[in-house]
Amino acid sequence: MGSVRFEHVTKRYGKVEAVRDLNLDIPDGHFMTLVGPSGCGKSTTLNMLAGLDDVTEGEIYIDDQEVSSLPPGERDIAMVFQSYALYPHMSVRDNLAFALMVRKESREATQRKVADAARLLGIEELLDRKPRQLSGGQRQRVALGRALVREPRLFLLDEPLSNLDAKLRVQMRAELKLLFDRLATTVVYVTHDQAEAMTMSDRVAIFDHGVVQQVGTPLDLYNQPANKFVAGFLGSPPMNFLEAEIAEGQVRGEGFAFALPAWAGAVGRGTPVTLGLRPEDVTLQAASGAAAAPISLVEPMGSSTIVYTRIGPNLVAIETGKDTTLRAGSTVALAIEPNRVHLFDATTGESLAPSG
Amino acid sequence: MRRGSARQRDFAPSVLDVARDTEDWAATVGTMSTRRKHAGLRAMTAATLSTTPAGSSRPRRGAARSRAAGFGWALLRWATVGLALAVTIVPFFWLVTTSFKRQIDYLAYPPELIPPVWTLDGYRVLFEQQDLGHFFMNSVIVTVTSTALAVFIGALAAYSLARARLPFRLNGILAFWMLLTRMYPAIATAIPYFLIMRDLRLLDTLPALIVTYTAFNLPFVIWLLIGFYEELPIELERAALIDGCSVWMRFRKIVLPLSAPALVATAILSAVLAWNEFLFAVMLTRVNAKTLPVVMSGFITDKGTQWDQMTALGVITVLPVLVFALAVQRYLVRGLTLGAVKE
Repeated sequence: MGSVRFEHVTKRYGKVEAVRDLNLDIPDGHFMTLVGPSGCGKSTTLNMLAGLDDVTEGEIYIDDQEVSSLPPGERDIAMVFQSYALYPHMSVRDNLAFALMVRKESREATQRKVADAARLLGIEELLDRKPRQLSGGQRQRVALGRALVREPRLFLLDEPLSNLDAKLRVQMRAELKLLFDRLATTVVYVTHDQAEAMTMSDRVAIFDHGVVQQVGTPLDLYNQPANKFVAGFLGSPPMNFLEAEIAEGQVRGEGFAFALPAWAGAVGRGTPVTLGLRPEDVTLQAASGAAAAPISLVEPMGSSTIVYTRIGPNLVAIETGKDTTLRAGSTVALAIEPNRVHLFDATTGESLAPSG
Repeated sequence: MRRGSARQRDFAPSVLDVARDTEDWAATVGTMSTRRKHAGLRAMTAATLSTTPAGSSRPRRGAARSRAAGFGWALLRWATVGLALAVTIVPFFWLVTTSFKRQIDYLAYPPELIPPVWTLDGYRVLFEQQDLGHFFMNSVIVTVTSTALAVFIGALAAYSLARARLPFRLNGILAFWMLLTRMYPAIATAIPYFLIMRDLRLLDTLPALIVTYTAFNLPFVIWLLIGFYEELPIELERAALIDGCSVWMRFRKIVLPLSAPALVATAILSAVLAWNEFLFAVMLTRVNAKTLPVVMSGFITDKGTQWDQMTALGVITVLPVLVFALAVQRYLVRGLTLGAVKE
């Protein structure tokens, strides 16, 4: 139990549109991530779903029940905040039990649920401490525990990992994913981190300027981005964009020419386009002569090596094997499978690939 | 035209020169001030560090100068502290010693700082002639009740003003309006106030004082607490909201416990104000509802001032406040700084 549906939801603060005409379906049990740069409307969307922000226009349904007018406490949801928002004057135990106490659950049931959540998260020995005596990671677990004891139909998580250091963040990312897979409850997860969106989600909705750009599975979005924004947002290092033009069987620009993918036959010759190249799709061959590009920079990442080369006015990142012998100053030729090429409308940024 | 540009050309280098001079000057001052700052450290290492004879003598001179300056600063610091202490402690010291003096000693000229003979006569007469217990209780009841009311109502008002978003900038207007009551001298409203209390048949009753002190302390409680509540992280309350709390529960379970230090601090300040208030107490009471300050003023008579009894009562009045303040001092300091800076 816990499906969510946004229907034509708009949120305005005065004249500023934070979210515009949002339509989004979140099936029961899915891990849905709302991702985008700051100020894109993802947190506002979550707050509207939680009931912390009013809806200006449109309806929000949880399990086919319209909830726009319900106070947050009656929506049967639990939320984890970026700052954790643990009650500083209460012990961990009381923090976990607080919502149950408000709901007037019996003492036995409360104790059992608190103990279960504490065991699940490995925070049993912290139960009598105050939040200020906990490390960042421990606070994060308590904040999760406070959501778990509620046994809600919907978990809302607002940038829960962004206050952790990089190493702990990667570890908690995996733990969270395992935990929510086990609970099989619907999760709506807000983040600005594309890696979290890619790794954790069943489905991702990418926001920009208050508008959903694309919804789909992480790999769908990665492989078939609907527009330049989605293509550039997912992936690290990000996709390279080059200004180009369609020629006979080729996409051509300053200092390069690649073969067109089969589907691009319908695109008229001379059309200005933006060419998108994923760093890992490009292969490098040592070369010399007119077609060769010089390498500007080599970044060994350990598991792979990022090579930067100059094509026309652009610096292009290419991911290559960790054993590469290429050095700055060597010249290379670039090659790419035609069907790995992404083409976007030069003015609108929309993908030119046939959808589906 | 030609002349003008020629003059400009003449003028331009001179401006540059001035600028260069200023720069040099600034650089010199800069090194001087750094030198002075580190002089203490350098004085010890100067001999080993400097290679030129000029270099070795200059830092040493600077060090001597700065040592003198350091001494001067220390002297000034202690003088300031001493002055502040004198201003607060000497009157209090005089109050206490006078309460133990005989009449002949407190009227002596030049005044005796330490009583030549210590006596408890002032206290004895005071307890014999006055119904002290009654007036003491009056003061306690008025202070405790008005403080409790002011802090409770003030906390509710401050929380509402800090959290509610009222239209037409009403938050600011309301907060400012409340401050208005502290902006005119209290005596300006004395006569209308007296007449209103008379018509309400509240003259010479404790409720009159309680209402008055509550009203007068409210603005200041509200202003102190608004600042505090605005600093309270909103996410805590959002979390409580999602946990299913009503407004009242949120206030009682989350906001009140977290604001305890601020509440204690405001309570102390408003209690001290109520305890020592004189103007409205003397105006609104006659016999029954007199508070300690009013009783004290009764020792100033047309036959002279009974300094021994007056100061004795002064000591008795100060004591509870002193004990109370010491007991909650920890909260006072914490509460006054809490919310002032973001942690």
